[in-house]
Amino acid sequence: MIRILKLYKIFIVQHLKKLMEYRVDFLTGAGSFFITQITNIVFISIIFNQIPSLNGYLYNEIIFIYGFSLLPKGFDHLFTDNLWIVGWYVVRKGDFDRYLTRPISPLFHTIVETIQFDALGEIAMGLILVIYSSIKLALHFTFINIVLLIIAIIFGALIFTAIKIACAALAFWIKQSGSILQIFYCTSDFARYPITIYNKVIRGIITYIIPFAFTAYYPANYILRNGKPLYCIGGVVLMSIILLSLSLIIWHKGINAYESAGS
Amino acid sequence: MRRLCNTYKSFLKAGIQSGMAYRVNFICFFIGESLYCIVMYFIWKAVFMSSGNGNFMGFNMVDITLYVFLSNLVGFLTSTDSTSSLALEIKDGSIIMRMIKPVNLNLSLLAFELGDKVMVITCTFIPVMIGVEIYRYITLGYIAFNIINFLLFIISVIFSYLIAFYLNLLFGYLAFFLMNIWGFNMLKGSLIKFFSGAIIPIAFFPEKIRVVFEQLPFASLVYTPTMVYMGKYSNNELLFVFAKQIVWLIVFILICRMVWYLAQKRLSSQGG
Amino acid sequence: MIKVQNVSKEFKKVVKESGLKGSVKSLFSRKYDIVKAVNDISFTVAKGEILGFIGANGAGKSTTIKMLTGILTPTKGEIEINGQIPYKNRKKYVREIGVVFGQRTQLWWDLPLTETFTVLKEIYQVDDARFKKQMDFFNEVLELKDFVKSPVRTLSLGQRMRADLAASMLHSPKVLFLDEPTIGLDVVVKSNIREAITKINQEEQTTIILTTHDLKDIETLCKRIIMIDKGTLIYDGSLLDMKNKFGKFREINLSLQNNSDINMLRFKEDLNLNSDDFQIKSNKEKITVIFNSQKIGVSDMLSYILTHTNIADISVNDVNIEEIVRRMYK
Repeated sequence: MIRILKLYKIFIVQHLKKLMEYRVDFLTGAGSFFITQITNIVFISIIFNQIPSLNGYLYNEIIFIYGFSLLPKGFDHLFTDNLWIVGWYVVRKGDFDRYLTRPISPLFHTIVETIQFDALGEIAMGLILVIYSSIKLALHFTFINIVLLIIAIIFGALIFTAIKIACAALAFWIKQSGSILQIFYCTSDFARYPITIYNKVIRGIITYIIPFAFTAYYPANYILRNGKPLYCIGGVVLMSIILLSLSLIIWHKGINAYESAGS
Repeated sequence: MRRLCNTYKSFLKAGIQSGMAYRVNFICFFIGESLYCIVMYFIWKAVFMSSGNGNFMGFNMVDITLYVFLSNLVGFLTSTDSTSSLALEIKDGSIIMRMIKPVNLNLSLLAFELGDKVMVITCTFIPVMIGVEIYRYITLGYIAFNIINFLLFIISVIFSYLIAFYLNLLFGYLAFFLMNIWGFNMLKGSLIKFFSGAIIPIAFFPEKIRVVFEQLPFASLVYTPTMVYMGKYSNNELLFVFAKQIVWLIVFILICRMVWYLAQKRLSSQGG
Repeated sequence: MIKVQNVSKEFKKVVKESGLKGSVKSLFSRKYDIVKAVNDISFTVAKGEILGFIGANGAGKSTTIKMLTGILTPTKGEIEINGQIPYKNRKKYVREIGVVFGQRTQLWWDLPLTETFTVLKEIYQVDDARFKKQMDFFNEVLELKDFVKSPVRTLSLGQRMRADLAASMLHSPKVLFLDEPTIGLDVVVKSNIREAITKINQEEQTTIILTTHDLKDIETLCKRIIMIDKGTLIYDGSLLDMKNKFGKFREINLSLQNNSDINMLRFKEDLNLNSDDFQIKSNKEKITVIFNSQKIGVSDMLSYILTHTNIADISVNDVNIEEIVRRMYK
């Protein structure tokens, strides 16, 4: 474990150096994630100019859910962005070879290589929205509330990671799985709003099959609607553990099916 | 003239083939966009339920549903890769290969892209249009399809695509001057989505903002064609929006030519 | 040390039809072909041996190396190296091997070389004393000092290959796999790399398996070679034996003052050679004569050519591996 952290440190330092070198790139990257979110907030604001509440949720409550949804997504984005590259290029070009000739887990090896600082734009926006809406709603957080929310963010991020691992692993069979990963990633859009606005089928899917609802709506409900912590937070933990186990099985099966590339 | 056509036909054919080759990507992209539409549909549905009456700033539920699906269809049809393909060629230097061929750079890219679009049009345009009209028939109880609006819509989409193409080309040329345009490209994407009315109909913005947005070239990309199909414009307004599309198209073509001219000079002065 | 028994590897390949029609067709149905990349190969390697793998492009060399390194799982057969099965206990197994793929680097593109070694030190858990000793050794044999601070992407191909070689040896592996380690390098760098490989082999008794297209690599490094063609092993033995067994072919390149002189070279009639023993290839500028030097000596051949034609330029070379492989397969 210490070894892993040491490795991580080396890569983070290198990424920071690169960041300093290409400051403009970082600023446009993080800035664009930030601004993309602003356009969505404008959308929500315009809606609420006309209506007092959406399905029983006030403007600031919607903002809270929206802001919270950016946190697990952002942290996953920050740490595991290299999985996209695996899905799009690494396997197809046969560059996965080198991960297989090293005595550490290839999955860990791939993940550790990249830190995507662009995600800081997403995380910053999420924090701003959550704090802003909490103040507006005059929410009181106990110590336990905060601990449970942090747990929800960590395990929520793992739900994203698990889905990314499983989708990226498909590339071992079909060579390129980036676009499939994209679809699953898109479904997380559903989780940014109260899931009560969707019909039963969609609610079922995003709660139990691709459980993005656990990355934002349920944890937010724990705070906003006094939801049961066992379901709202425990659900996040349980779902992420189940998904992560499944995705690791798929990943390991995939490695055995890996065919490298010609020559 | 005929020989000229044949030259670009080869680019067109190559485009069709590459479109086929990336069909899995295309299908996945299409599914992703559909999911986005579904999210928007449900949000608007909740909005209409919450607003009490069946009217939201001059739009009813049928209008907004139509708008969500059509605006995304238009966005999809007019989406273009010209920024990234051009930027890539500039970065890896293969742009030189295009420059030494006796073809117009912009037109050859356009021909390739149009070929790429054949697949998109057959697999999305027709099913989505049919779906939208079936939806209108079921909810309204009569056939609301208007052939004139449809034809005007097609013309408007073609203009919209050409504007999008040249606008994106312009961003692609930035690669001559910028290090890495990836982040920039994303920023461009989300801003265009916002200003073109792909997220919210421009009609929903407060009056003063709306007037400004409607004059910007972005409105011509998604908002105009969608509103044309929905029959939201009077005859006079129609003339005006089409005129705007044509003017913006000409403006972008001219700017592209200018930048290309400058870029060529820069290339030759740097010696590649 | 290394035991390979009846190993085969099959790949599934999509059959693509050409043209627009073909791509439309493949929308609806896809045909697959089973390709046997490696077919029933067996051999053993002793500790400290340097074994050369040769064969034409696509013969199955790389696939074999990838199975030996645990990257690919064989479809059939067994592999045992250091008492371990590569693809089964991969993580444990790769600790004891080093791998260099000449075509693609194992290093991190953006990291300076020193950082790369620090990362590898952590990955392989090399202790400080050992690390220092290895780095000193590399500096001596591979001369890394000049570019150790530069990011990998700025290195020349020769520097990169030296760095790759050092990276693969950092943890003192028992077996070193080199897949075309001299590809694309100039003559000076090639011979540097060869020297380094020899030193590594002597210093640590490292078993080395290498693939190459360069006969010089084989001649300076390997006593024993294995030749693969279309996935099957067609020769396993010493280089010398092979040359004796398959004829010692030489190549004479010449350009003539008058191209029609080529008709004056009648080896069959004048020198009593079988059609198997010689071959004439010609294009506008150059004529290549390949012949069996055991049937007719190089000097006899030269004097024959010189007396029958007007030469503008002439040179004698060893026949390249591809040519030998081609002849052997006949």
